[in-house]
Amino acid sequence: MSDQALTYLDANGVAAVGPAWLDVRRKAARASFADAGFPHRRVEAWRYTDLSRLIAKTDWQPAMPHAGAVLVPEGRSNPFAAITSHKLVFVNGFFRPDLSELEGLPAGVEILPLEAALESGTKFETAFDANGPEAVAPIAALNTACAKDGAVIRLGEGVALDQPVQLIHYTPDGGATASHTRNVIELGAGASMTLLEAQIGWGGAYLVDRLTNLTLGEGASLTHVRIEDEDAQAVHIATVLGDVAAEASYVAGTLAIGGRAGRLQTALRFTGEDAHAESNTAYLLRDQQQLDSTIIADHAVPGCTSGALAKGVLDGEATGVFQGKVIVAPHAQKSDAKQMSNALLLSRDAAMNAKPELEIYADDVQCAHGSTIGELDGDALFYLRSRGIDEQTARRMLISAFLGGVLEQIPHEEARDLLSERAAGWFESRSGGEA
Amino acid sequence: MLEIKDLHASVDGTPILKGISLTIGDGEVHAIMGPNGSGKSTLSNVLAGREDYTITKGSITYKGKDLTELAIEERASAGIFLAFQYPTEIPGVTTMTFLKTAVNAQRKVRGEEELNAVTFLKLVRQKAKELKVDEDMLKRPLNVGFSGGEKKRAETLQMSLLEPSLAVLDETDSGLDIDALKIVADGVNRLRAPDRSMIVITHYQRLLDYIVPDHVHVLAKGRIIRSGGKELAKELEASGYTDLTESAA
Ligand SMILES: Nc1ncnc2c1ncn2[C@@H]1O[C@H](COP(=O)(O)OP(=O)(O)OP(=O)(O)O)[C@@H](O)[C@H]1O
Ligand SMILES: [Mg+2]
Repeated sequence: MSDQALTYLDANGVAAVGPAWLDVRRKAARASFADAGFPHRRVEAWRYTDLSRLIAKTDWQPAMPHAGAVLVPEGRSNPFAAITSHKLVFVNGFFRPDLSELEGLPAGVEILPLEAALESGTKFETAFDANGPEAVAPIAALNTACAKDGAVIRLGEGVALDQPVQLIHYTPDGGATASHTRNVIELGAGASMTLLEAQIGWGGAYLVDRLTNLTLGEGASLTHVRIEDEDAQAVHIATVLGDVAAEASYVAGTLAIGGRAGRLQTALRFTGEDAHAESNTAYLLRDQQQLDSTIIADHAVPGCTSGALAKGVLDGEATGVFQGKVIVAPHAQKSDAKQMSNALLLSRDAAMNAKPELEIYADDVQCAHGSTIGELDGDALFYLRSRGIDEQTARRMLISAFLGGVLEQIPHEEARDLLSERAAGWFESRSGGEA
Repeated sequence: MLEIKDLHASVDGTPILKGISLTIGDGEVHAIMGPNGSGKSTLSNVLAGREDYTITKGSITYKGKDLTELAIEERASAGIFLAFQYPTEIPGVTTMTFLKTAVNAQRKVRGEEELNAVTFLKLVRQKAKELKVDEDMLKRPLNVGFSGGEKKRAETLQMSLLEPSLAVLDETDSGLDIDALKIVADGVNRLRAPDRSMIVITHYQRLLDYIVPDHVHVLAKGRIIRSGGKELAKELEASGYTDLTESAA
């Protein structure tokens, strides 16, 4: 039993308000989280992100709905605003119908807030049963016990959704408040869509925990583009947990620039052959920011391909973490898994912890993993400057070059360009103009 | 154009240049020859402003101003260009993007209008054609995977685009095949002008048949031990450096 967890759950857990199938699961999750407590550094998978310590000494209370207009600070707006999309907007973790756009959904497409989906009697037992591997299970339990709202997106068999779906989360209010969001995404066989997610906050110290349950049917395809731009004092966790069926494909591209401390954790399991999953993450950190990118690919069946690529630019006293884990089951022959972490340290006080792990029980597999930690190449900098390019521009060129190949993997061109622009904005906003 | 007086420079506390004096007038071409490790590239890098080298004594005056006061990029915009002996490979930066950024950065500093994409492309194409640089090469990351000769040609292309006042060519001939040597030398000769000076560093007299220098200097152990006219290069080709360096020691 953890007192820290109990106190937290008493304040932030969701009471039994039905439906019954969910109450049962919330109760079980609550018990399991109370038992395990907030993960801390003595838990191997959380060695570099001591969540227990990060949230300690704060009397966390549930976030409240934000009344009225949402005034997004300059330069922090939803980068995907210009892309015509179906849109769900959440503020402080609560759905805001007035800011959302859900008219004209094509046949076979269901997009609605979790609360409404539950009221309509839809059951998501499997989505709330899956806790995922050990590394993500504590957070999955916490989320099940505390999630109030979220998005439900369901595509019927063979539905190809032309317009992307945007999930926009704003956190304008902070002050020791916490919000837990649960998204459920189910793509029927052969269905396809692009999900654009923006997590933007400026409310000061707050905690956000967002968990997305994915179920991709046979041959389904999901492109998931994300920006994480939380407040510089916020602690944020974004979990993606899911099953990928035969011949299905999940491609994620994430730009993370915000937050005091964050963990992006993705755990995917292949349930059918010839499926593909990849996560491409670019993170740009400064001051005392820290970001943990943890990616687990479970090759439970033969013939699947997975990729994890994370590139981080670390300035100031920032810390980056990469944890990759590939599990290949004994019969999962012809599995192909790649993991790569590259970090560019712009300051002596920045730090990187990379831990790629392979657990391979099959023999006919291709697995590659590696990690690099480096600094800006002084020769390259001299070369560029010797042609008249000023130091700041030269550094920027080299940093962009380093990041190249991550955001480029995003298959949605417009979203990719918009994220690249936002990444460029990070350089502009660097204080002191050192690079 | 350039006046170097009693220049001493060291790297990590080790003296490399030990009292170099050299005066280069407008429009002059000076060749510098000398044994491996004598300090030729060090001198080029010091002129370009590389920060690894510390000037411990002496002065460098360029167009009447103290060159050492200028940052690397300021020297470039002021007209100094170094064609590197070993051009740096820069993955992820496309050659074309780099060229445009460099040209426009210098134009901006000089108060000239920046070239738009179309005008720039036309200019690059014309220069690339003159130097027989394949356009496909320009789409590749800067110097990455370029062959030795391709790198040298790319350096020459940069020079012809940037039109410097003082070009320092550090062994631009090494690694070039016979045809390429001719093409690059022609490119350099096209740039010869009354207001443009050059320092040509080479180990081979052959280059100096194409780019005929006004003066030839021999650098050994961080000092200029002999200077002369273009015939000095021929003499060296025949006798080598041994006699010279021994008599200087
Ligand atoms: N960064 C450095 N650190 C240590 N030693 C250096 C450095 N740069 C140059 N040197 C030394 O300085 C000396 C001169 O080197 P430099 O490259 O200037 O010679 P060079 O005349 O250009 O030779 P080459 O004909 O082989 O190109 C060499 O002994 C070299 O090892
Ligand atoms: Mg040299």
